[in-house]
Amino acid sequence: MLDLARANSIWPMTFGLACCAIEMMSTAMSRFDLDRFGAGVFRATPRQADLMIVTGTVTRKMAPVLTRLYEQMPSPKWVIAMGNCAISGGPFVFEGQYNVIEGVDLLVPVDVYVPGCPPRPEGLLEGFLKLEEKITGKRRFPGPDSRW
Amino acid sequence: MVEKIKAELGAALGGVEIRETEYRERGYHLSCEASPGELLKAARFFDECGFYLAAIVCVDYREYLELVYIFANHSALCKTKVTLKLDPAKPAAPTLSAIFDCAYWHEREIREFYGVLFDGHPNLTYLFLHEGIDAYPLRKEQVLLADEDKKALGAFRPEEGEDTFFVNLGPQHPSTHGVLRVVLKMDGEYIQSAEPVLGYLHRMHEKMAENRSYLQFLPNPSRMDYLGAMSFNLGHVTAVERLCGIAVPDRANCVRVIATELNRISSHLLWLGAYLADLGALTPFLFVFDDREQINDVLEAVTGSRLTYCYFRFGGLYNDVDEAFIAGTKAFIERMRGRFGLYEKLVGGNVIFINRTRGIGVIEKERARKYAVSGPVLRGAGIAMDMRKAEPCAAYSEMDFDIPVGTRGDALDMYRVRVREMGTALDIIEQALARLPDGPVMAEKVPKKLKPPKGDLYHTVETPRGELGIYIVSDESDRPYRMKWRVPSFSNLMIFPELARGNLLADAVAILGSLDLVIPEIDR
Repeated sequence: MLDLARANSIWPMTFGLACCAIEMMSTAMSRFDLDRFGAGVFRATPRQADLMIVTGTVTRKMAPVLTRLYEQMPSPKWVIAMGNCAISGGPFVFEGQYNVIEGVDLLVPVDVYVPGCPPRPEGLLEGFLKLEEKITGKRRFPGPDSRW
Repeated sequence: MVEKIKAELGAALGGVEIRETEYRERGYHLSCEASPGELLKAARFFDECGFYLAAIVCVDYREYLELVYIFANHSALCKTKVTLKLDPAKPAAPTLSAIFDCAYWHEREIREFYGVLFDGHPNLTYLFLHEGIDAYPLRKEQVLLADEDKKALGAFRPEEGEDTFFVNLGPQHPSTHGVLRVVLKMDGEYIQSAEPVLGYLHRMHEKMAENRSYLQFLPNPSRMDYLGAMSFNLGHVTAVERLCGIAVPDRANCVRVIATELNRISSHLLWLGAYLADLGALTPFLFVFDDREQINDVLEAVTGSRLTYCYFRFGGLYNDVDEAFIAGTKAFIERMRGRFGLYEKLVGGNVIFINRTRGIGVIEKERARKYAVSGPVLRGAGIAMDMRKAEPCAAYSEMDFDIPVGTRGDALDMYRVRVREMGTALDIIEQALARLPDGPVMAEKVPKKLKPPKGDLYHTVETPRGELGIYIVSDESDRPYRMKWRVPSFSNLMIFPELARGNLLADAVAILGSLDLVIPEIDR
């Protein structure tokens, strides 16, 4: 019961890092309307948030800030790594790179990965559904056909 | 103008050879090599003549380091490159920060990335980088930071006075639109000084450019400025085309203009929504995203992406436009023209909005020049300067449009300029659609591996945020030897500490928003 309540009222933190933040905003705005899933209440402080969406590249200068914000969030808490940069460093990994963390999972535990550069809003919505599935153990409604 | 400057500069420097260069190939008219003393003389000369310092670039040629200063003018097209050679073992140069305020920031950047010491610079501490980096990143050979250098770079510590305290605005704050951190020294509710700390999203674009070919670098510019991705893409593509001498078909040029202007509108719309959200009005956010989605639909069909476009290729376009694109664009123009009235009612005539922005963050013309701000911020200050008119690329030279300018230079003017600019962008799109010729969209015989001839180029385009300058040095290989991005938001941010001083904290947010910053572009 508690899980159901949590899954239907995920409060994300406004944690816009880079390009993906704009797609996160699109997801929350008029057309895609994240509020349908009870997840549109973006909080500006980590103390009121349950979900951190890491939207963009994490640099070595940003890493301590990110971990501190994660630690300030009250449990239970979840993390979505949105975009290739947050997943693995994305296009910014090359020999001799000196400033990019190659995946946010090196810093905080990640629950759902949403790939794309940037992912479409539908992709992020699917990420939210996956997270709900993880919390409650069942899916809100049938997912896409997985034949291929 | 060029002749006059050449003669006068020659007289001011006395005995230094000033060469005239081919503007079409190089992007500047005059060039000269100076000694440190002559550089200062030249800077003072340009300051008196009303020029602005567009960019300072450092290039590592292994045998020597070269500082490149680009001086340009708002009223006439006349660009001069002044170079200064430095010893790579102990690079030192005089600072220009006393003459041009923007040099203060450029020099700090060069100090971190190349280790050049600027004599007389008041504050050479970390701006982008941090203590975790052991070598100067952009030097061609690995040069480690000495311990005392590290100590000097890390010397910035906020110091509290008896009556003052510090507030960190960011790096994770909704009103900074990304990961900008501003350390504000507060005296009660008033700001005594502001110190931006950058680099929370430094993604090494310039280093990457040196590591890959021109073609491989294509996706990067749109990730620098993800809101004006099309303009950055256009800048990179036209710069390389200019360097290699590739002619682009008319149709491609026309479509480039349409796509770039659509992207400009979408960028200004997002600014409008985000700015008003900063000021506490959340409703416009929903309206602008509705309009933005219409643009995204149109552009997505031909470019394949919603945000980080990579539509232009060297010599043309990735994909020809179809009837659906043209019909969709026309429908959008009609819709958008009807929306301006709504925005005027919702925002422009709103008393709270007017009172929060009128007389806030006033930029005078002279100050705008000293800081080399550009784009809507410069036009808001009353200087009619637009790179689309001054140095037109693609098909901009054939378009007829006027440049909206402000009168007072405050935050309200910036808003008005941007809204009117959306209108002129619609005019440009209409003209381009009307004269869209048939034909190919890709030049024939563009080699897969581009190897531009030896030389350098300073190329500028107008992005939604202002003047984007790209300085490329080619060494005849398929990779740029050095690619410097002079980004508009960086120059526009420089003026913020001065505007914020003495203002309320709430007004600082209004000022910061009016500059329309995109942080990954500043950090690169």
